[in-house]
Amino acid sequence: MSHDHDHTDPPADIELRVKALESVLAEKGLIDTGALDELIDIYENKIGPRNGARVVAKAWTDPDYKQRLLSDATAAIKELGFSGVQGEDMVVVENTPDVHNMIVCTLCSCYPWPTLGLPPAWFKSAPYRSRVVIDPRGVLKEFGISLSDEKEVRVWDSSAELRYLVLPERPAGTDGWHEDRLVDLVTRDSMIGVGFPKSSADLHQQAGA
Amino acid sequence: MPVVTKELVPLLVQTGASARVAEEIPARFLPGDTVLARNVNPANHTRLPRYVRGKVGTIVMDHGVFVTPDTAAHGLGEHPQHVYCVRFTAAELWGGDASPRDTVNIDLWDDYLQPS
Repeated sequence: MSHDHDHTDPPADIELRVKALESVLAEKGLIDTGALDELIDIYENKIGPRNGARVVAKAWTDPDYKQRLLSDATAAIKELGFSGVQGEDMVVVENTPDVHNMIVCTLCSCYPWPTLGLPPAWFKSAPYRSRVVIDPRGVLKEFGISLSDEKEVRVWDSSAELRYLVLPERPAGTDGWHEDRLVDLVTRDSMIGVGFPKSSADLHQQAGA
Repeated sequence: MPVVTKELVPLLVQTGASARVAEEIPARFLPGDTVLARNVNPANHTRLPRYVRGKVGTIVMDHGVFVTPDTAAHGLGEHPQHVYCVRFTAAELWGGDASPRDTVNIDLWDDYLQPS
Protein backbone atom coordinates (compact mmCIF):
# COMPACT_ATOMS: atom_id res chain seq x y z
CA MET A 1 0.00 0.00 0.00
CA SER A 2 1.32 3.43 -0.90
CA HIS A 3 2.20 5.57 2.06
CA ASP A 4 3.09 8.93 0.62
CA HIS A 5 0.29 10.97 2.17
CA ASP A 6 0.99 13.49 4.91
CA HIS A 7 -0.26 12.28 8.30
CA THR A 8 -1.12 15.85 9.26
CA ASP A 9 -3.70 16.03 6.43
CA PRO A 10 -7.27 16.22 7.69
CA PRO A 11 -9.40 13.11 7.08
CA ALA A 12 -11.26 12.79 3.78
CA ASP A 13 -14.45 14.83 3.33
CA ILE A 14 -16.70 11.80 3.65
CA GLU A 15 -15.09 10.77 6.95
CA LEU A 16 -15.53 14.27 8.34
CA ARG A 17 -19.14 14.36 7.24
CA VAL A 18 -19.87 10.99 8.87
CA LYS A 19 -18.13 12.01 12.12
CA ALA A 20 -20.02 15.34 12.18
CA LEU A 21 -23.38 13.62 11.60
CA GLU A 22 -22.66 11.02 14.24
CA SER A 23 -21.71 13.69 16.84
CA VAL A 24 -24.79 15.79 16.13
CA LEU A 25 -27.15 12.80 16.30
CA ALA A 26 -25.51 11.57 19.53
CA GLU A 27 -25.58 15.03 21.14
CA LYS A 28 -29.27 15.35 20.33
CA GLY A 29 -29.87 11.93 21.90
CA LEU A 30 -31.22 10.46 18.65
CA ILE A 31 -28.68 7.63 18.49
CA ASP A 32 -26.78 5.56 21.00
CA THR A 33 -23.13 5.31 19.93
CA GLY A 34 -22.87 1.97 21.71
CA ALA A 35 -25.62 0.65 19.41
CA LEU A 36 -23.67 1.89 16.38
CA ASP A 37 -20.50 0.11 17.57
CA GLU A 38 -22.52 -3.06 18.08
CA LEU A 39 -23.94 -2.85 14.54
CA ILE A 40 -20.49 -2.34 13.06
CA ASP A 41 -19.10 -5.24 15.07
CA ILE A 42 -21.91 -7.54 13.91
CA TYR A 43 -21.39 -6.80 10.21
CA GLU A 44 -17.59 -6.70 10.40
CA ASN A 45 -17.02 -9.78 12.51
CA LYS A 46 -20.10 -11.95 12.85
CA ILE A 47 -22.19 -11.92 9.66
CA GLY A 48 -20.55 -12.66 6.33
CA PRO A 49 -20.37 -15.04 3.36
CA ARG A 50 -19.32 -17.93 5.60
CA ASN A 51 -23.02 -18.13 6.56
CA GLY A 52 -24.09 -18.51 2.94
CA ALA A 53 -21.33 -21.09 2.43
CA ARG A 54 -22.87 -23.21 5.20
CA VAL A 55 -26.24 -23.06 3.46
CA VAL A 56 -24.71 -24.12 0.14
CA ALA A 57 -22.62 -26.94 1.64
CA LYS A 58 -25.65 -28.33 3.44
CA ALA A 59 -27.70 -28.21 0.22
CA TRP A 60 -24.89 -30.10 -1.56
CA THR A 61 -24.92 -32.91 0.99
CA ASP A 62 -28.55 -33.12 2.09
CA PRO A 63 -31.11 -33.54 -0.74
CA ASP A 64 -34.08 -32.95 1.57
CA TYR A 65 -32.55 -29.69 2.79
CA LYS A 66 -31.88 -28.62 -0.82
CA GLN A 67 -35.54 -29.27 -1.62
CA ARG A 68 -36.64 -27.11 1.30
CA LEU A 69 -34.14 -24.42 0.35
CA LEU A 70 -35.44 -24.18 -3.20
CA SER A 71 -39.10 -24.20 -2.18
CA ASP A 72 -38.93 -21.90 0.90
CA ALA A 73 -35.48 -20.35 1.14
CA THR A 74 -36.29 -18.03 4.06
CA ALA A 75 -37.36 -20.91 6.32
CA ALA A 76 -34.56 -23.24 5.22
CA ILE A 77 -31.89 -20.59 5.81
CA LYS A 78 -33.39 -19.83 9.21
CA GLU A 79 -32.99 -23.51 10.14
CA LEU A 80 -29.23 -22.81 10.20
CA GLY A 81 -29.74 -19.72 12.36
CA PHE A 82 -29.45 -17.07 9.67
CA SER A 83 -32.25 -14.51 9.41
CA GLY A 84 -33.09 -10.86 9.71
CA VAL A 85 -32.34 -7.53 8.10
CA GLN A 86 -32.13 -7.78 4.30
CA GLY A 87 -32.89 -11.50 4.41
CA GLU A 88 -36.52 -11.35 5.51
CA ASP A 89 -37.77 -12.84 2.23
CA MET A 90 -35.25 -15.00 0.41
CA VAL A 91 -35.15 -16.87 -2.89
CA VAL A 92 -32.41 -19.37 -3.78
CA VAL A 93 -31.78 -20.08 -7.45
CA GLU A 94 -29.88 -23.17 -8.55
CA ASN A 95 -27.13 -23.31 -11.15
CA THR A 96 -27.38 -26.35 -13.43
CA PRO A 97 -25.50 -27.55 -16.52
CA ASP A 98 -28.01 -25.50 -18.57
CA VAL A 99 -28.50 -22.36 -16.47
CA HIS A 100 -26.11 -19.88 -14.85
CA ASN A 101 -27.73 -17.46 -12.41
CA MET A 102 -26.37 -14.06 -11.42
CA ILE A 103 -27.69 -11.41 -9.06
CA VAL A 104 -27.86 -7.64 -9.36
CA CYS A 105 -29.94 -4.84 -7.89
CA THR A 106 -30.19 -2.30 -10.70
CA LEU A 107 -32.05 0.35 -8.69
CA CYS A 108 -29.82 0.38 -5.58
CA SER A 109 -27.67 -2.26 -3.93
CA CYS A 110 -30.02 -4.79 -2.30
CA TYR A 111 -28.08 -7.81 -1.09
CA PRO A 112 -28.82 -10.77 1.23
CA TRP A 113 -27.03 -9.59 4.39
CA PRO A 114 -27.68 -12.57 6.75
CA THR A 115 -26.06 -15.00 4.30
CA LEU A 116 -23.46 -12.83 2.53
CA GLY A 117 -22.79 -9.89 4.87
CA LEU A 118 -22.52 -6.38 3.47
CA PRO A 119 -22.13 -6.01 -0.31
CA PRO A 120 -18.72 -5.47 -1.91
CA ALA A 121 -18.16 -1.98 -3.40
CA TRP A 122 -18.34 -3.23 -6.99
CA PHE A 123 -21.81 -4.73 -6.39
CA LYS A 124 -23.04 -1.23 -5.50
CA SER A 125 -21.26 0.49 -8.39
CA ALA A 126 -23.21 1.95 -11.30
CA PRO A 127 -21.15 0.09 -13.95
CA TYR A 128 -21.95 -3.36 -12.48
CA ARG A 129 -25.61 -2.52 -11.88
CA SER A 130 -26.22 -1.08 -15.33
CA ARG A 131 -24.21 -3.58 -17.35
CA VAL A 132 -25.26 -6.91 -15.82
CA VAL A 133 -28.74 -6.74 -17.31
CA ILE A 134 -27.66 -5.74 -20.83
CA ASP A 135 -24.30 -7.54 -21.11
CA PRO A 136 -24.10 -10.28 -18.46
CA ARG A 137 -21.60 -12.32 -20.47
CA GLY A 138 -19.30 -9.33 -20.87
CA VAL A 139 -19.39 -8.69 -17.12
CA LEU A 140 -18.74 -12.38 -16.41
CA LYS A 141 -15.68 -12.30 -18.70
CA GLU A 142 -14.26 -9.49 -16.57
CA PHE A 143 -14.66 -11.79 -13.57
CA GLY A 144 -12.75 -14.44 -15.53
CA ILE A 145 -15.74 -16.54 -16.50
CA SER A 146 -16.56 -17.56 -20.03
CA LEU A 147 -19.79 -19.48 -20.56
CA SER A 148 -20.93 -21.57 -23.51
CA ASP A 149 -23.48 -19.91 -25.80
CA GLU A 150 -25.64 -22.98 -25.14
CA LYS A 151 -26.02 -22.04 -21.49
CA GLU A 152 -28.75 -19.61 -20.41
CA VAL A 153 -27.52 -16.70 -18.32
CA ARG A 154 -30.41 -15.93 -16.00
CA VAL A 155 -30.02 -12.51 -14.38
CA TRP A 156 -32.10 -11.75 -11.27
CA ASP A 157 -32.73 -8.04 -10.62
CA SER A 158 -33.60 -7.90 -6.90
CA SER A 159 -34.87 -4.32 -6.91
CA ALA A 160 -38.06 -5.32 -5.04
CA GLU A 161 -38.32 -6.94 -1.58
CA LEU A 162 -36.97 -10.44 -2.26
CA ARG A 163 -33.27 -11.14 -1.79
CA TYR A 164 -31.53 -13.74 -3.92
CA LEU A 165 -28.74 -16.23 -3.35
CA VAL A 166 -27.20 -18.48 -6.01
CA LEU A 167 -26.77 -22.17 -5.24
CA PRO A 168 -23.66 -22.97 -7.31
CA GLU A 169 -22.96 -26.41 -8.77
CA ARG A 170 -20.98 -28.71 -6.51
CA PRO A 171 -17.40 -28.98 -7.80
CA ALA A 172 -16.33 -32.27 -9.39
CA GLY A 173 -14.02 -34.51 -7.39
CA THR A 174 -15.70 -33.84 -4.05
CA ASP A 175 -17.73 -37.03 -3.74
CA GLY A 176 -18.00 -38.20 -0.16
CA TRP A 177 -16.70 -34.91 1.27
CA HIS A 178 -18.15 -33.87 4.60
CA GLU A 179 -20.22 -30.69 4.71
CA ASP A 180 -17.60 -28.93 6.88
CA ARG A 181 -14.94 -29.47 4.22
CA LEU A 182 -17.23 -28.35 1.39
CA VAL A 183 -17.84 -25.03 3.15
CA ASP A 184 -14.26 -24.02 2.34
CA LEU A 185 -14.97 -24.33 -1.39
CA VAL A 186 -17.88 -21.90 -1.44
CA THR A 187 -16.86 -18.35 -2.33
CA ARG A 188 -18.88 -15.17 -1.92
CA ASP A 189 -18.70 -14.53 -5.67
CA SER A 190 -20.09 -18.00 -6.45
CA MET A 191 -23.19 -17.14 -4.42
CA ILE A 192 -23.67 -13.86 -6.35
CA GLY A 193 -23.11 -15.72 -9.62
CA VAL A 194 -19.95 -13.91 -10.73
CA GLY A 195 -17.67 -16.79 -9.80
CA PHE A 196 -17.48 -20.52 -9.28
CA PRO A 197 -16.71 -22.42 -6.08
CA LYS A 198 -13.09 -23.38 -5.59
CA SER A 199 -12.05 -26.79 -6.88
CA SER A 200 -10.60 -29.50 -4.66
CA ALA A 201 -7.24 -28.77 -6.36
CA ASP A 202 -7.46 -25.10 -5.26
CA LEU A 203 -7.84 -26.22 -1.66
CA HIS A 204 -4.84 -28.54 -1.86
CA GLN A 205 -2.79 -25.75 -3.42
CA GLN A 206 -3.76 -23.40 -0.59
CA ALA A 207 -2.92 -25.99 2.02
CA GLY A 208 0.47 -26.68 0.40
CA ALA A 209 1.37 -23.03 -0.12
CA MET B 1 -38.43 9.21 20.34
CA PRO B 2 -37.10 5.83 21.57
CA VAL B 3 -33.46 5.27 20.75
CA VAL B 4 -32.15 1.87 19.69
CA THR B 5 -29.83 0.67 22.42
CA LYS B 6 -26.80 -1.57 22.14
CA GLU B 7 -28.77 -4.38 23.83
CA LEU B 8 -31.57 -4.19 21.24
CA VAL B 9 -29.30 -4.31 18.19
CA PRO B 10 -28.69 -8.09 17.96
CA LEU B 11 -32.42 -8.80 18.19
CA LEU B 12 -33.30 -6.17 15.57
CA VAL B 13 -30.60 -7.45 13.21
CA GLN B 14 -31.85 -11.02 13.56
CA THR B 15 -35.52 -10.13 13.15
CA GLY B 16 -35.46 -7.53 10.40
CA ALA B 17 -38.64 -6.01 9.04
CA SER B 18 -40.35 -7.80 6.19
CA ALA B 19 -42.41 -5.77 3.73
CA ARG B 20 -44.69 -8.80 3.34
CA VAL B 21 -48.31 -8.18 4.30
CA ALA B 22 -50.59 -10.87 5.72
CA GLU B 23 -53.63 -9.77 3.79
CA GLU B 24 -55.72 -11.86 1.40
CA ILE B 25 -55.60 -10.05 -1.89
CA PRO B 26 -56.55 -11.78 -5.13
CA ALA B 27 -53.72 -12.23 -7.62
CA ARG B 28 -54.44 -10.77 -11.06
CA PHE B 29 -51.84 -12.97 -12.73
CA LEU B 30 -50.73 -16.59 -12.60
CA PRO B 31 -47.36 -18.12 -13.42
CA GLY B 32 -47.24 -18.59 -17.20
CA ASP B 33 -49.28 -15.46 -17.95
CA THR B 34 -47.87 -12.99 -20.47
CA VAL B 35 -47.75 -9.43 -19.17
CA LEU B 36 -46.76 -5.98 -20.38
CA ALA B 37 -44.77 -3.75 -18.03
CA ARG B 38 -46.52 -0.41 -18.25
CA ASN B 39 -44.73 2.42 -19.98
CA VAL B 40 -45.11 5.12 -17.35
CA ASN B 41 -42.68 7.73 -16.10
CA PRO B 42 -43.75 8.71 -12.60
CA ALA B 43 -41.98 11.51 -10.76
CA ASN B 44 -42.38 9.62 -7.46
CA HIS B 45 -40.38 6.71 -6.06
CA THR B 46 -40.90 3.52 -8.05
CA ARG B 47 -39.31 0.08 -8.40
CA LEU B 48 -40.21 -0.22 -12.06
CA PRO B 49 -36.88 0.26 -13.84
CA ARG B 50 -36.92 2.05 -17.18
CA TYR B 51 -35.37 -0.88 -19.02
CA VAL B 52 -38.50 -3.03 -18.65
CA ARG B 53 -41.12 -0.34 -19.34
CA GLY B 54 -43.16 -1.19 -22.42
CA LYS B 55 -41.67 -4.71 -22.60
CA VAL B 56 -43.50 -8.03 -22.61
CA GLY B 57 -42.55 -10.80 -20.19
CA THR B 58 -43.86 -13.93 -18.50
CA ILE B 59 -44.86 -14.39 -14.87
CA VAL B 60 -42.61 -17.06 -13.34
CA MET B 61 -43.40 -16.73 -9.62
CA ASP B 62 -46.00 -15.11 -7.41
CA HIS B 63 -44.14 -14.02 -4.26
CA GLY B 64 -47.29 -13.04 -2.36
CA VAL B 65 -48.50 -9.70 -1.05
CA PHE B 66 -46.16 -6.81 -0.17
CA VAL B 67 -46.29 -3.14 0.76
CA THR B 68 -46.06 -0.89 -2.31
CA PRO B 69 -43.01 1.38 -2.04
CA ASP B 70 -44.39 3.84 -4.61
CA THR B 71 -46.96 4.98 -2.05
CA ALA B 72 -45.34 3.94 1.24
CA ALA B 73 -42.15 5.89 0.49
CA HIS B 74 -44.23 9.07 0.31
CA GLY B 75 -46.34 8.39 3.40
CA LEU B 76 -49.34 7.59 1.22
CA GLY B 77 -50.18 4.19 2.67
CA GLU B 78 -49.12 0.57 2.28
CA HIS B 79 -51.38 -0.25 -0.67
CA PRO B 80 -50.62 -4.00 -0.35
CA GLN B 81 -50.54 -5.97 -3.60
CA HIS B 82 -48.94 -9.02 -5.20
CA VAL B 83 -45.33 -8.99 -6.29
CA TYR B 84 -44.48 -11.30 -9.18
CA CYS B 85 -41.20 -12.40 -10.68
CA VAL B 86 -41.42 -11.57 -14.39
CA ARG B 87 -39.05 -13.10 -16.93
CA PHE B 88 -38.02 -11.03 -19.94
CA THR B 89 -35.94 -12.44 -22.76
CA ALA B 90 -32.74 -10.55 -23.54
CA ALA B 91 -34.01 -10.21 -27.12
CA GLU B 92 -37.22 -8.49 -25.92
CA LEU B 93 -35.24 -6.05 -23.78
CA TRP B 94 -32.24 -5.39 -25.98
CA GLY B 95 -33.12 -6.39 -29.52
CA GLY B 96 -31.99 -8.92 -32.08
CA ASP B 97 -28.27 -8.92 -31.28
CA ALA B 98 -28.87 -10.18 -27.74
CA SER B 99 -28.29 -13.81 -26.78
CA PRO B 100 -31.27 -15.95 -27.83
CA ARG B 101 -31.06 -17.82 -24.51
CA ASP B 102 -30.41 -15.22 -21.83
CA THR B 103 -33.14 -13.76 -19.63
CA VAL B 104 -33.60 -11.05 -17.01
CA ASN B 105 -35.92 -11.89 -14.12
CA ILE B 106 -37.26 -9.07 -12.02
CA ASP B 107 -39.81 -8.75 -9.22
CA LEU B 108 -42.58 -6.30 -10.09
CA TRP B 109 -45.69 -5.07 -8.28
CA ASP B 110 -49.12 -5.87 -9.70
CA ASP B 111 -49.79 -2.19 -10.54
CA TYR B 112 -46.80 -2.11 -12.88
CA LEU B 113 -48.30 -4.80 -15.10
CA GLN B 114 -51.13 -5.26 -17.53
CA PRO B 115 -52.30 -8.36 -19.41
CA SER B 116 -50.68 -8.81 -22.80
